[in-house]
Amino acid sequence: MAIPELKQVSEVVYELGREFRPDMHVPLRVFADAHLLAQLERDHSLEQLVNVCALPGITRQALGMPDMHEGYGFPVGGVAGTLLPDGVISPGGIGFDINCGVRLLASSLRFPDVEAELPSLVHELSRNIPTGYGRHGRLSLSPDELDRVLNEGCKYIVREKKLGVEEDLERIESLGSLTDADASKVSERAKQRGQDQLGTLGGGNHFMEVQRVDTVFDELAANRLGLAPDQLTVLIHSGSRGLGHQVCTDYVRVMDQALTGYKISIPDRQLACAPFSSRHGRDYFGAMCAAANFAWANRQVLAHRVRETFGRVLGGGANSRLSLVYDVAHNIAKIEQFGSQRLCVHRKGATRALGPSSPDIPAVYRGIGQPVFIPGSMGTASFVLVGTNAARDLSLNSACHGAGRALSRTAAKREVTGHVLRKELESRGIIVRCVSNAELAEEAPIAYKDVERVVDVVTRAGIARKVARLVPRGVLKG
Amino acid sequence: MTSPSRHWFDEHTGEVQLHLVAPTLAQLFEEAAKALGELMVERLAERTNTSVELVKLSAPDREALLVEWLNELIFRSETEHNVYGEAKVHRLSDTELEAEIRGRTPERLRTAVKAATYHRLKIASQENGYSATLILDV
Repeated sequence: MAIPELKQVSEVVYELGREFRPDMHVPLRVFADAHLLAQLERDHSLEQLVNVCALPGITRQALGMPDMHEGYGFPVGGVAGTLLPDGVISPGGIGFDINCGVRLLASSLRFPDVEAELPSLVHELSRNIPTGYGRHGRLSLSPDELDRVLNEGCKYIVREKKLGVEEDLERIESLGSLTDADASKVSERAKQRGQDQLGTLGGGNHFMEVQRVDTVFDELAANRLGLAPDQLTVLIHSGSRGLGHQVCTDYVRVMDQALTGYKISIPDRQLACAPFSSRHGRDYFGAMCAAANFAWANRQVLAHRVRETFGRVLGGGANSRLSLVYDVAHNIAKIEQFGSQRLCVHRKGATRALGPSSPDIPAVYRGIGQPVFIPGSMGTASFVLVGTNAARDLSLNSACHGAGRALSRTAAKREVTGHVLRKELESRGIIVRCVSNAELAEEAPIAYKDVERVVDVVTRAGIARKVARLVPRGVLKG
Repeated sequence: MTSPSRHWFDEHTGEVQLHLVAPTLAQLFEEAAKALGELMVERLAERTNTSVELVKLSAPDREALLVEWLNELIFRSETEHNVYGEAKVHRLSDTELEAEIRGRTPERLRTAVKAATYHRLKIASQENGYSATLILDV
């Protein structure tokens, strides 16, 4: 789509009016600077966001975050709220990896004090954290236990399985447990797919990173989040694995076949949807919440494995303590109140970003804002931010979820070879664990947008503010 | 003379776009299995452990049937720990499919495929057969 169609409404916000296409119910807004805008012209993400504007019941605007890129159904980095009770819920607006998300752990250690141990630490993490096809280290569950994970999420993992501490729970979005979850709405096929995957990182762009706090921008906020210069941190990026993928597959099929009955016409079959208040809508929401609980439980088990590994390599006790800073979802639908409107907010590759006065953030972060994590690509910096009160009106309390892809995997492999990239990362003191050089190249920094630029747009837009910058020192690629 | 079946993967910023061409609709579905196997595992044919399984599917139309077919292969890959790059379609209509699939156990996956999507999905009749385009979430 030609960029000149977009009208600049403020420094880093561009709008396309609903008159652009007859089926648009609302305008769209994109957060970008001139450079990021030009990158959008190279793929179909804007066209996909126009399609989102045609969803029945959509209100306000369809939003594109600064890291937006082409996906399927929604673009990745797309946000849309539908007005309840009868606005639709669309599985394609959440994606196959339900509650793919990020969790940050902060160590009580300073990086310089343990730098010598880094090779053995990363090596042991690679042995204890199952990646790709790997299943060692997973949590074995009976069918009843799996149902409890689906219905109770992290509460079950911490309180019954004793994998984690009670303080972890208050530092997870929605306490790591969505109460609308209904395991009975998750198919046996989905349960079969997820049965042996709890505590596995998965493949693709999932990763685990050992980092050093490089810069603190806001000392007060960093202090409240437990972050300080030179501190050692661990970032975990994973999701609901095959269970979530199958939930999405099942309900796209169900909703595709139900469209005619609801007299819904959509421009892309992958946006198949149903009124939230309908049986199909409620069933999907119950299953999606269950898959989201599975994902939070998965990151809880992964965090436990990291804590075990730190204890083994660096010694037990206070020396290896890892506190949970926060855990955020970035593929999810949530019911949220905006003034008199109750909305189903779809976030596909986007993070919730609540401001300091929101009652829905942990008590420890009131007055500061909800932590927002924007991981860069492999080898580049990641950022910790906090949401602002202004995000409520500007972006439906949302911010971006990463740097955002700029090149396809094939194009990335044309630009850089894996073994050269591995050497380059190692020459910068970054230890990389990835079985295949080709897969390494697919996730090369050149394949992603410039995270510094993306974060700059987020802060200039006023939807979140910077707290700290983290740099990678060890990477375990999924 | 009909051209042989073929497939190729095209540029897509976030996912993988698959193109298929085949002389018949049945061969188009068989080629889809071959493409999926190739995406998931390098040198799949060299793996010796094999299993032969039967698949029966139905869907409202042939596009949905192609999505169902690939999603069935993805489901079995994950739960059976096999990759199914070879298929023989025994019966096919616009809404039903019966096929025999051959699974091989890889040491590891090259690409973990989450699902086949309906996004920009199209099966077209063309001179000398059929073509299809679809996006796979990886």
